[in-house]
Amino acid sequence: MKAFISKNKWTLLLLIAATALMLVLAQKTYYALIIALFGIYAIVATSLDVLFGYTGQISLGHAGLFAIGAYSSALLTIKFGVPSLLSLVLGSAITALIGALIAIPASKLVKHFLSLLMIAFGQIIYLIINSWTEVTGGSLGIMNIPYLNVFGFEVNSNLKGAIVIWVILAIVLLVKHRIIRSRVGNAFIAIRENTVAARGLGIDVQKYKVLAFAVSAAMTGLAGGLYAFLRGFISPETFNGTQSVLFMTMLLFGGITTLAGPVIGAIVLLLFKEVFQTFSTYQGLIYALFMLLVLFFFPNGIIGLYKSGKTAVMKLLSKRAEATRNGGAENAEN
Amino acid sequence: MTTESTIIRLVIGALMIGSVYAVMGMSYSLIYKATGLMNLAQGDFLMLGAFVGLTFYKTLGLNIVLSFILTFIVMFALGYVVQRYLITSLLNKGASFSFIILCTSALSLAFQNGSQIIWSPYTLPFPAIFDTGAVDIFGAKVAPENLLVLFIAAFGAIGLFLFINKTKLGTAMRASALDQTAASSVGINVQLTKGITWGLSAGLAGVVGMALGPVYGVYSTMGAMIAQKAFAGAVTGGYGNIYGAVIGGLFYGFMETFVSAYLTTTYKDAITFAMLIIILAISPTGLFKEKVIE
Repeated sequence: MKAFISKNKWTLLLLIAATALMLVLAQKTYYALIIALFGIYAIVATSLDVLFGYTGQISLGHAGLFAIGAYSSALLTIKFGVPSLLSLVLGSAITALIGALIAIPASKLVKHFLSLLMIAFGQIIYLIINSWTEVTGGSLGIMNIPYLNVFGFEVNSNLKGAIVIWVILAIVLLVKHRIIRSRVGNAFIAIRENTVAARGLGIDVQKYKVLAFAVSAAMTGLAGGLYAFLRGFISPETFNGTQSVLFMTMLLFGGITTLAGPVIGAIVLLLFKEVFQTFSTYQGLIYALFMLLVLFFFPNGIIGLYKSGKTAVMKLLSKRAEATRNGGAENAEN
Repeated sequence: MTTESTIIRLVIGALMIGSVYAVMGMSYSLIYKATGLMNLAQGDFLMLGAFVGLTFYKTLGLNIVLSFILTFIVMFALGYVVQRYLITSLLNKGASFSFIILCTSALSLAFQNGSQIIWSPYTLPFPAIFDTGAVDIFGAKVAPENLLVLFIAAFGAIGLFLFINKTKLGTAMRASALDQTAASSVGINVQLTKGITWGLSAGLAGVVGMALGPVYGVYSTMGAMIAQKAFAGAVTGGYGNIYGAVIGGLFYGFMETFVSAYLTTTYKDAITFAMLIIILAISPTGLFKEKVIE
């Protein structure tokens, strides 16, 4: 523990400072809402990292899973009177189940077909929530979703929402960390690196792909439920195909296969969206630009840039140290 | 209107949209065969073609045939540039297929948003091409513009088929699709043929998009849905197989038209996508047994 703290002291300090800053900012309800949304999108980007970053399965349909989480949580509470916390969990479980179901065909397909399968999946969900008016409210959506109630603690303000959501994000990150460090995580990485070799090692490729989909869907569904309870209102436009591309951009921009990457990516892209609201007509172009920049110039995202920058600085420093040492030695000889 | 003429009208409508899916499916298959890649911006080439065609025909007041030819050239150039300068340089950096897919999906976003900025975020009307009113076919009234779509799509499909099978460049394209190393060793410029493949598929999509202009109007997302259904058609027929794309495209054209006429209009798109998922689940190799599973 001590070693861990001293090894990561800067990261921990930064985390504490960021938490303090966010708590100060969150006193204003608008900032609190944005910070809460950071957490929600960070969970989605993290879930995509499990699927795409570690297992190599592309998904351009995660907005559909996000929608299933949001709508099932909201509907369970409103129509069936299920306690909100329970419907959040159930919503996540339903999403995981549907994620696993779609994964059965998806797990057999190569990348091109997988990406279109997931697009088609996202489209179907979008069409259903848009058209099934009796249940989903159609294009008007669902209004007056009650507050989330965590064992008697009613999350009735954006500040409370932000705190609860960030605590849940921390738990999700911990779960992701545990999964990735386990045998299951190793199997995911093996499948990403070389499916044939993974199968040769005795890894049940299809089983683990379905598992990766289910884990990712559970996280995304959870984020969807949190979104519904936070906003108190959901409508289909939050869950369209562009949203799926945005999720993917968040993950790529932050950096895949890291803990902090998806979180940073979600924060940066959402900040960008809020700060440049007046440029909302250019939003698609801006996202596209973000994505192309990442693909062409820093494929490992911001985290990758930071790491390569750090190694470059370290190299420079060690060179300089070596030079002084050598210089010192020469001086001594003289 | 009698039931007979209703059915004839539906059949012509189904043929029209089905032939559009067929040509788009062929363009997917062409790219897949020649470069092993997938272009998620294919539908946006169709949409850009419609906007570019509108600019030539309405804004600049050019002749309709000339507008079609110029649209083809502009879209060909765009497709060529995308392949040669974006996709190739990304591949040279060692990017995986997932990254190429993401790159084309970013392009799709950029094209849609860009067209909204350059032209209009709303649906633009495309002026009627023919002076005559509806044409009478076996008692069914059909707008001549709808027949033009069918004609252009059929012309494009047959032209593409002849080009691939009967010309030297087409043979070179097939050769580089089969074996790149062998093709370049007999003096085929593989990179050039790949660029031309993308150019051709973009040009074809653009011309079809322009023909669709008078039927649906021109708007920034007009291509996205068409391209996804064309993909469904190509998969159903057997992805990468040109004939399969035609049969699959026509199948979805008929299914969609008759489902929305007799069953439901609200869920017709959902039914198409559900079909796609079912086919990918049960028989992803399609009718013509193309390899899609790793």
